[in-house]
Amino acid sequence: MWTALLAVVRKEFRQAFRDKRIAFMLLAAPVIQMTILGYAVDLEVDRIPTVICDQDLTSQSRDLGAAFVAEGTFRRVATVRDPAAASRLLEQGTAAVALMIPVGFARDYARQIPIDVQVLVDGTDPNRAQVAMNASAQFLAERAVGVSLQRLSQAVAAGGAVRSLPQQRLTPRILYNPRLKSAIFMVPGVAVTVLLVITTIVTAMGIARERELGTMEQIMVTPLRPAVLLLGKCLPFAIIGLVDVGTLLAVGSYLFGVPIRGSLLVVAASSILFLFSTLGTGIFISTVSRSQQQAILGGFFFLMPAILLGGFMTPIENMPAWIRPLTYLDPVRYFLEILRGCLLKGSGFADLWRQFLALALFGVSIMTLSVLRFRNRLG
Amino acid sequence: MSGPTGAGPVIEVRDLTKRFGAFTAVDRVGFEVHAGEILGYLGANGAGKSTTIRMLCGLLAPTAGTALVAGVDVSRHPQKVKRLIGYMSQRFSLYLDLSAAENLDFFGGAQGLAGRRLRARSQAVLEQVGLLAHRDTRTGDLPGGWRQRLALACAILHEPHLLFLDEPTAGVDPVSRRSFWQLVRGLVRAGTTVLVTTHYMDEAEYCDRVGLMVDGRLAALDTPAALKARLVPGRLFDVHGPAAGSRGRLAAIAGIQHVEPFGAGFHVRMADPSVGAGDLAGRLDAAGFPGAVIDDLEPSLEEVFLEVVEGWPAPANAPEVPA
Ligand SMILES: Nc1ncnc2c1ncn2[C@@H]1O[C@H](COP(=O)(O)OP(=O)(O)O)[C@@H](O)[C@H]1O
Ligand SMILES: [Mg+2]
Repeated sequence: MWTALLAVVRKEFRQAFRDKRIAFMLLAAPVIQMTILGYAVDLEVDRIPTVICDQDLTSQSRDLGAAFVAEGTFRRVATVRDPAAASRLLEQGTAAVALMIPVGFARDYARQIPIDVQVLVDGTDPNRAQVAMNASAQFLAERAVGVSLQRLSQAVAAGGAVRSLPQQRLTPRILYNPRLKSAIFMVPGVAVTVLLVITTIVTAMGIARERELGTMEQIMVTPLRPAVLLLGKCLPFAIIGLVDVGTLLAVGSYLFGVPIRGSLLVVAASSILFLFSTLGTGIFISTVSRSQQQAILGGFFFLMPAILLGGFMTPIENMPAWIRPLTYLDPVRYFLEILRGCLLKGSGFADLWRQFLALALFGVSIMTLSVLRFRNRLG
Repeated sequence: MSGPTGAGPVIEVRDLTKRFGAFTAVDRVGFEVHAGEILGYLGANGAGKSTTIRMLCGLLAPTAGTALVAGVDVSRHPQKVKRLIGYMSQRFSLYLDLSAAENLDFFGGAQGLAGRRLRARSQAVLEQVGLLAHRDTRTGDLPGGWRQRLALACAILHEPHLLFLDEPTAGVDPVSRRSFWQLVRGLVRAGTTVLVTTHYMDEAEYCDRVGLMVDGRLAALDTPAALKARLVPGRLFDVHGPAAGSRGRLAAIAGIQHVEPFGAGFHVRMADPSVGAGDLAGRLDAAGFPGAVIDDLEPSLEEVFLEVVEGWPAPANAPEVPA
């Protein structure tokens, strides 16, 4: 059995690395993919194009506009006077945010009566819109507090007595990923996706190819047992997948400063459990496909929802209520929770045992089902 | 592994049947193969040759009937059969992206060969099939005939005493076909028993016995000479020339049993084997066909095959056709 297993493993490695494109896909592509996703599909929002609509044209209104873009979340693309012009820039997409400073801003400021400063936000990118709303609300609140403080201290100075002032400020503190760096959030996601794609699609295609080319028939007439054949076909890609996860974590922490707070043992154990699900799914897909092409299609049919429902891009809490229960059927969800928990929070087995249990249940059942189906199909 | 010791047949098939749904691909086939012989299996596409072989290899479970291969019942112990046989499937099935040696490595490992023994056997079979110089050539870069030889090398790597070859020479040029058959005959001389399917009639002449398969049934099985004597009895002549006449008028001549158009003339079969070319010329003359050119013909297996397939008026001593 060991002889046969070794023969299959060696053959799979040879075939994978014989084809330079496949070798590239397996080893280099994940890192490139993560780098691109980390930088380009940057969920971290800053430098939002902003138009300042200054209808007051006073030094106070100019100050407000300058302060709005000073911190970096907003980037001034234009200053206009006419509100219609500001709307046009929003419509064209030149600006995503408009700060509308009304006529009489300086006058009301001097009279100390409340001023309505309006912020218009382009909602087509909900994530960016959310960031813009929060940042502008925070900006205006801080500004209001600043103004009151200034007034009070002036009043106190005029009265000649200096006292400390009671002040209340709301200071939200974000834990684990304080600068809301998206790369930190993305790296575990990319690692999961890469492992998923490599092991599922490559396994499904590899078996379908043997069937398509007729080599499966030649193998079936040797004493090689189906279970050994499957193990031998899966093992190399499991190993390559784990190497990829390791590389992604290393590159992720080097390039994007992803912390590795938890134990690598947790990462390794969950990866292996996750592999049972993905390899099992790959085998299953191969048993319902007649050709490599069908295997690829079947693979994507499974991968797309698995990735989307797993919470790779969209946090599960933000999904529609009717979809959320479905995410419990997605092994990606549990693996992602384990990886993020372990890397970002330093969670261990004690915190994550539910996810581990779910992953194990999925893995063992999918694998068992697929291996049985594979054996029966050889009939 | 020691070879079968000549006692009894190596393959014993009784009423072997395979149905796919309502369709019967192999219908109550029975035969025996003896140690050290080449049994050829002849038949048109879809006759059921591959299905029969695949049942014997333990790849397909028979619907009914029994098959003992090297004494092992294939429907009960398909796994056990696999250790004892070599098989070359109908479709070329090696890894094209691996070299010749790497293919041998893999299939040898799958058979349980490893280490020094695997290396020695690889070397030996590559030498045997004449591919030693190409051991590191990508299989996809080998010409078709060479690939077939490599496939044969993979099938005999573990030294099976029983070899199943399913259309091993399909789509291969005549020269390569001949060299392939020389290899097979060499194996048989060394004691291997071979069951081979083909649809090249000329290849059947290499076989000790030939089975003819028609629509899932084994219609005839015997040595090529016996098949010819039984199914194409009498004497066969080639008749051509300016006045070879029409088929119907030739067939009406006394003593002529069958007329088959062939090229510009006819193949004419006389019922009485003692009739010579001269006698036939006289009869043709009398019937108003003077000057026909007449040559003696040795019946080929093609005629035998046509006899069976087209259901010519079967001679009284024809083998029983299973109903
Ligand atoms: N797995 C299968 N399912 C259904 N029909 C099959 C299957 N395998 C073969 N057949 C049918 O059985 C018949 C015999 O096929 P086969 O044994 O391959 O013929 P041959 O090898 O003589 O050309 C064909 O009509 C073929 O279509
Ligand atoms: Mg066939």
